[in-house]
Amino acid sequence: MRGFEYYKPKTVKEAIELMVSLENAKFIAGGTDIMVLIRQKKISPQSVVSLRNIPELAEIDTKDGLRIGSCVTHNDIDKNEYIKKYYSALTDATSQLGSRQIRNVATIGGNICNAAPSADTACPLLVLDAKAVIIGQDSSREVDLDEFFLGPGKTVLSRGEILKEFIMPRFNENTGSSYIKHTRREAMDLPILGVATRITISITSGNEVRCRDMFCTIDSISNILERLKDEGLRCEDVRIAMGVVAPRPIRAKKAEAALKGKIVTPELFEEIGEIAASEAQPRDSVRGEAWYRREMIKVLVKRSLAKSMDRVIRPDEAIYPERLW
Amino acid sequence: MDNLKVVGKKIPKIDAPLKATGAALYIQDVKIPGMLHGKILYSQYPHARIIKLDTSKAEKLPGVRAVVTAKDMPPNFRIGIMKDNPPLKSGKVLSIRDEIAAVAATTPEIAEEALSLIEVEYEELPGIFDPLEAMKEGAMLIHEEAKSNILKMPWRLICGDVEKAKQESAYIVEDTFSTQWVTHCCLGTSGCVAHFDMHNNLTMYSNTQIPSLAQNDFVEALNAFGLKNRRVRIIQAVIGGGFGSKLDTYAYEYIAILLALKTRKPVKIIFTREEEFFATSPRQCTITKISHGCDKDGRLTFRDVEMVLDNGAYTSWGATTPSVMMLPISSLYKVPNVRYIAKCVYTNNTYCQAMRGYGNPQATFAIESSLDQLAEKAGIDPLELRRINANEPGEITPQRFKITSCGMKECIEEVYKRLNWKEKRGKDNGRGVGMASLIHVGGGARVYKSDGCGTIIKMDDFGKVDVFTGASDIGQGSDTVIAQIVAEVIGIPIEDVNVINNDTDICPWDVGVHASRTTFVAGNAALGAARKIREQILEAAGKILDEDPADLDIKDGMVFSTKNKEKSTPLGKALRKIHYTLGGKMLMAEYFYDPANENFDKEFKGNLSVSYAYGAHGVEVEVDRETGKVKILNYVAAHDVGKAINPLLLEGQIYGGGLQGIGYALGEKMVYQNGRLMNGNFLDYKIPTAKDVPPIQPVIVETDEKDGPFGAKGIGEPGLVPTAPAIANAIYDAIGVRIKDLPITPEKILAALKAKDK
Amino acid sequence: MKKEITFNLNNEETTVEVDPKWTLLYLLREVLNLTGTKEGCGYGECGACTVIIDGKAVNSCIFPVLEAEGKNIITIEGLAKDGQMHPLQKAFIEKGAVQCGFCTPGMIMSAKALLDEKKNPTDEDIKEAIEGNLCRCTGYVMIIDAIKSVAAGR
Repeated sequence: MRGFEYYKPKTVKEAIELMVSLENAKFIAGGTDIMVLIRQKKISPQSVVSLRNIPELAEIDTKDGLRIGSCVTHNDIDKNEYIKKYYSALTDATSQLGSRQIRNVATIGGNICNAAPSADTACPLLVLDAKAVIIGQDSSREVDLDEFFLGPGKTVLSRGEILKEFIMPRFNENTGSSYIKHTRREAMDLPILGVATRITISITSGNEVRCRDMFCTIDSISNILERLKDEGLRCEDVRIAMGVVAPRPIRAKKAEAALKGKIVTPELFEEIGEIAASEAQPRDSVRGEAWYRREMIKVLVKRSLAKSMDRVIRPDEAIYPERLW
Repeated sequence: MDNLKVVGKKIPKIDAPLKATGAALYIQDVKIPGMLHGKILYSQYPHARIIKLDTSKAEKLPGVRAVVTAKDMPPNFRIGIMKDNPPLKSGKVLSIRDEIAAVAATTPEIAEEALSLIEVEYEELPGIFDPLEAMKEGAMLIHEEAKSNILKMPWRLICGDVEKAKQESAYIVEDTFSTQWVTHCCLGTSGCVAHFDMHNNLTMYSNTQIPSLAQNDFVEALNAFGLKNRRVRIIQAVIGGGFGSKLDTYAYEYIAILLALKTRKPVKIIFTREEEFFATSPRQCTITKISHGCDKDGRLTFRDVEMVLDNGAYTSWGATTPSVMMLPISSLYKVPNVRYIAKCVYTNNTYCQAMRGYGNPQATFAIESSLDQLAEKAGIDPLELRRINANEPGEITPQRFKITSCGMKECIEEVYKRLNWKEKRGKDNGRGVGMASLIHVGGGARVYKSDGCGTIIKMDDFGKVDVFTGASDIGQGSDTVIAQIVAEVIGIPIEDVNVINNDTDICPWDVGVHASRTTFVAGNAALGAARKIREQILEAAGKILDEDPADLDIKDGMVFSTKNKEKSTPLGKALRKIHYTLGGKMLMAEYFYDPANENFDKEFKGNLSVSYAYGAHGVEVEVDRETGKVKILNYVAAHDVGKAINPLLLEGQIYGGGLQGIGYALGEKMVYQNGRLMNGNFLDYKIPTAKDVPPIQPVIVETDEKDGPFGAKGIGEPGLVPTAPAIANAIYDAIGVRIKDLPITPEKILAALKAKDK
Repeated sequence: MKKEITFNLNNEETTVEVDPKWTLLYLLREVLNLTGTKEGCGYGECGACTVIIDGKAVNSCIFPVLEAEGKNIITIEGLAKDGQMHPLQKAFIEKGAVQCGFCTPGMIMSAKALLDEKKNPTDEDIKEAIEGNLCRCTGYVMIIDAIKSVAAGR
């Protein structure tokens, strides 16, 4: 391992100045990816600029929507009840990333800046309409997360820019979100496929939703949806995002358009799954086969939508029935 | 047997405090003053000619003390059972793990940098990565000097008349099953420190499972180096996992020896995790064609098995696993006519080794999957079919195994009961149950000319005991079992027994930790030595107490007369009296136990083990038809262990073996593409985590093995033998598809479901 | 260029010169000779190197050594008090949670971080706390039992 200098700036400004002045420098946050790359000799920076000691990057602010500093750890997000309730998809992702040890140090900004197609927090942030706040030497800009990724490992960040935080709007009351990570192992795994959805529903048949308990059953999803049909639940707004199906995490915009404004039915969900699958270009890899990923998009889009709806219908339920998904 | 004080009790492992406090020293932790660090350069291609190899730049790097290549090794020096593996390769490389050069330097970092300065040019050659291709007439020869890629190891077992039995069977099934490469994943990686003294005697700090055989291998190596008649001492560090991986000696060890010889300094080589994945030897993959028949009542008539094993480019013990596969093939259930033919085939893949079960998991997957198919064809409940054909005590199997104790039926009944078999079977609701049984050696295995283990016992002046055993503890707890046996026999608390097992200068010979033999063989050796020392104690104490030794007993470290309770003395006091007197003596005893088992004859027949271990596993699964994911709802692992000397450690073997088996069945696979390992890390090679543990119920069945120490048989390996077929059978019951190719991945299940629906 | 850092290690103020490229694990094992913390993979994938930093379980093999400055760090060597083993260590021994032992120090540190944070963890909490600690010997069952027994015993 080649040696490097290690800098610990205390402010964003200081960090940017260091980055601009140093040759072959690399930002490090939790370090759970960067340190591995250095140890594997895949990168050999001369300087490493740590973002760990900058308090303003480690804040969570829930006053108006949600602001999450880029150096907030997965564990900090996990423990935040507000996020769990109103931005559930994000908690789904942070609670399943890596291991406890990784989550204790790995940051959400690091997860996004790596721009891996499998980044767990990317799909949730996409469906939660997150904007990335980017600070440069003497500029600052906001970028839709959908515009942030350019390809595997590539983002819109240029040298000397820092991803400061993510901002997300506050959503309508009847909104729920979820992220399903499809893995081979129950922990310490990267997703074979990740799907996040956010849905806002309105109840057209009356005020009281009769179907509250149906999600507590171990019924198959088609049966649950069959019963939902009578409730006349209409999808007012929806986001669907998929990971590990393209060079970067993507939105399934055609599927979103096909669902928006419609009454939820099992047939429609089937169709949405098919459309989402057609929007993906999964590849064969050691971690999963393309055909299987495509099949799983169909399944997981349905399941994630159902789970998001469940979170609208039963907002106070903390425990889900133990089911395979 | 009823009054046992130490044996049969849940006694914590005696080395656990060292390990739980971080004080245990593993090979990684061994430091010797002046020690250098060695690193190995491996081939970049699975098959290539080396055009140029230039180490001059590496030699000039400050801190580098030696750079070695094949030309530094004695010419024609080869390792492995077929002597087909030069520790450093020249001319041609045959696999991606071929060692080409090595460096010793003052730090591991410098050694690594030096490797990057070694210039190698290759001419890449086309490789053969499929054993079926390699077997074909006219296929390129992996070893040019050999006439064929098929190893000269003709595994062939014929019992009875299979062809005739086929004619007479009411039902016959035939199918092909295959298994994948899996690797041990010891948490502590491989390593050693080689160190020569001024007389060229070698001390090897090692984590081998076979200290005595390794000593022999290294003596041979020193001879090849021209160092005749030297001593080799093996000192084992605490071993961070074995599972068969350390049953052979490896190129890295000979390279460390060479580097130590060149530099005259201790040289340490520790594998990185990547090396541990690609440069150690996995469990071999197999392709098995199997045919089974039974009569109209479900009694088995024959079993016909043909197998191809991918040997990889070189030969280690992996090539001999058919010798153990024969055991379930000939003797799992009563089957009168058996044929088994296996071929090991050279390819440009990684070469294979022993891994827990030694071929048995692969064979049992084919046998037990096929048996379920036969049961379906014959219209018999699969558990009932197994009841009908279960092995029994007193049986002599077609391969001439003499079955002594046998709890197979009891194990099957435990599965039936605890799985609620009758209620759960055949529900066609995405949930299902399945089972599989096992037979394994449980009383040693005569693979070598000796299957023995020596033990020496020395009494000190205070009533405490030092036990020197040849048996290595690789985490399974053999030290504790040996201590229990010695404490029980002598009549002292277990705290008074100190077990020393890690130094060939001190400890007697043992063939190694393999074949689930340690409790049985080393246990019997300890039992023999302990009985001898007890006799000596009683005889000497008889003189002191003026009593007939026959009337003396020892309990809790007190020697006393059973007739006259007032006559007693603390053991330590007695020992001092025996010692500190004119013509006094120290009490010591030795015992070498070599079980009365037989080497196979030329037809591969003979009573390989003194006793056989049995078991049955039952599993209930739930399958997600949309994703193909399998969830284990209930897992019953019933094992006939003869006698549980330590139920705590025994259950540890069952849980640990079970979860390894589940990994084998459902997820683990070394993905090789054209000879290159694609998933050599813990993220992509997925051993189960704590979150993947299903509810496992271990069930201990005791059958009191007459030849076992206190009635015990082996349990080291059986825990994972029937796991994969039990799960495959349960999946079939749940969703009606049979996966015949391990591991059973969600992809395979979903593809099979889609094919079935068409 | 070496730098001096000061941190609290196992309840002792420790000042040491470090190279910025080191990991915390390197400092512990190779410089301070605290070899109880193990390296199983070097990439944060097995948990054998787990130590507790400011109350949280962390993989020391990918922890930049300069970030240790000012931190409170506990390793397996820091658990025993006055010659008495920590209850977790005792429980691991008594419940059969130790086989080859290579994962044990890291496993115990993860368990301690959990119990320091949660007095009454559920089975799921326990599994989650040690999900990043791979063990190849035990099948985890007795490890989970051991942690549970300590939680219940206080």
